[in-house]
Amino acid sequence: MPFPRRQAAIVGIYTTKQGKIPDRTSFSLQLEAIKGALDDAGLTTADIDGLLPMSGTEHIPGTTAHQFWAEQLGERPLSLVETGGASGQLAKAAASIAAGLTDVAVLFFGRAGARTGPGGTAMPDRAPRVADDWSFATVGGYMTSWYAMWARRYMHEFHVSDADLAEVAVFTRYHATLNPDSVMGGKGEITVDDVLASRYVCEPLHLLDCSIDNDGGYAVVIASADLARDCRKKPVWVLGGAEAYYTDFYATINDPWFPNEGKAVRKATDRAFGLAGITRDEIDVAGLYDCFTITTVRNLEEMGFCKLGEGADYVKDGHLRLGGLMPTNTDGGLLSNSHCGDPSGMHTIEVVRQLRGECGARQVPGARIGVSLQQGWAVHGMASTLVMAAD
Amino acid sequence: MTILEAAAAPYLKPLPSVQAAHRPFFDALRGHQFMVPRCDDCGDYNWVPYPACRSCLSERQTWTRVSGNATLYTYTVCHRGPGAFAAEVPYVIALGELTEQPRPCLILGNLTGCPPEDIRIGMPMKIAYQDIPSEDITLWRWIPASG
Repeated sequence: MPFPRRQAAIVGIYTTKQGKIPDRTSFSLQLEAIKGALDDAGLTTADIDGLLPMSGTEHIPGTTAHQFWAEQLGERPLSLVETGGASGQLAKAAASIAAGLTDVAVLFFGRAGARTGPGGTAMPDRAPRVADDWSFATVGGYMTSWYAMWARRYMHEFHVSDADLAEVAVFTRYHATLNPDSVMGGKGEITVDDVLASRYVCEPLHLLDCSIDNDGGYAVVIASADLARDCRKKPVWVLGGAEAYYTDFYATINDPWFPNEGKAVRKATDRAFGLAGITRDEIDVAGLYDCFTITTVRNLEEMGFCKLGEGADYVKDGHLRLGGLMPTNTDGGLLSNSHCGDPSGMHTIEVVRQLRGECGARQVPGARIGVSLQQGWAVHGMASTLVMAAD
Repeated sequence: MTILEAAAAPYLKPLPSVQAAHRPFFDALRGHQFMVPRCDDCGDYNWVPYPACRSCLSERQTWTRVSGNATLYTYTVCHRGPGAFAAEVPYVIALGELTEQPRPCLILGNLTGCPPEDIRIGMPMKIAYQDIPSEDITLWRWIPASG
């Protein structure tokens, strides 16, 4: 039975302010985003019967996010709850909607005050004990150190330089300059030399090879085809989607690291495109999770847009830049738009905006088919891909 | 086998809680041995330790002493560090691939004793032990192996 294409559509999206938001709480940003996305759709909280909370969503300790929100939304008996990464949650919601489990589901995230990176942790007065005995915390590791080791090994095997990786930061920042809501766009464009001159965080990754780290929230409303046709904006149909996981948190990666057959991103993407009945070259615009410059390069290979070892050349050829074959992260991505903690919904939201024709100065003319990729929880450890189209 | 100078008190970097199932591993570290679960049924080594063999799902695994010899698979030099690691930058995190087969084990550890500019993927390394008497635990590090 093929994926039920065009039986569910994204009908509402919303992003809060992204950046330093010291006077708000995470909850408040989530609530603003949920209300905003519903308003964008022309729906109300009374219409929600499915919840897609992002894993980092805070709630009362001892409860789960969906239980908390079911109560908060007014003692709602919910029909559907899906967790995971944003693209995968929306894919599962679309399948569930078509199967009749739910009619309207809302994906949401919001964070204020916490930080993802290593900075700002105070010197403890005694050795903290970590529950995971193999945790990278015991060796002073954090996500950047894992992506840095991944980059180092990749550069070694495929003869790619740090200047090659820096090209990702350059085009992504250019996109951010066209997005007035981005955190970094106002600082102007950067060059490869700027990236290489920025201080090292974890070699070979410089500061400008790394995503930013800020507060913010967002929400996405997905609804059945019947409801979608009555919503305020033109529906962005889900054509197909899938998720895949291959490993646990950042404890180790098993050999081989760069198999020809790919890992989770390849699995999720092959399945999503197969279900959607779409080929790679039909994609007009993409939102690909770009926590580090190396991630964008590897995403391209694992998603099958180019061959293994050719990701850096694909970027250097200008294909991802506005005006190129497949404009990607046109809002500035995680590198220059916003990284608010669990940000994978942002890539989907930007693709939706492109397909609706709402992107102004950064609009891809005539964009009709798009893809978003979420990855994380280990390097490419958990992945999900969503293929979308507008009429 | 190399035993590094004992860590000075107070030790402020994060430490494992030592789950019950992992106690044999940490007891062996105290005896300056490194043990990896090895599957009784298929013979594969399993790192990180899991309750069942990841190759064949047998729950019969035996903690098996390894030589500690490895080659450097990849590494990074950290110039920013969380908590107590902030005072130690730059420091090196390395993944060493044990010489034992089958199923290569890539083990995370700090690499010391090698200037960052001299680190080379593929270089021989070995496990060294550091006692942390104030915390009643012994941890491991990577150091360059000569030759």
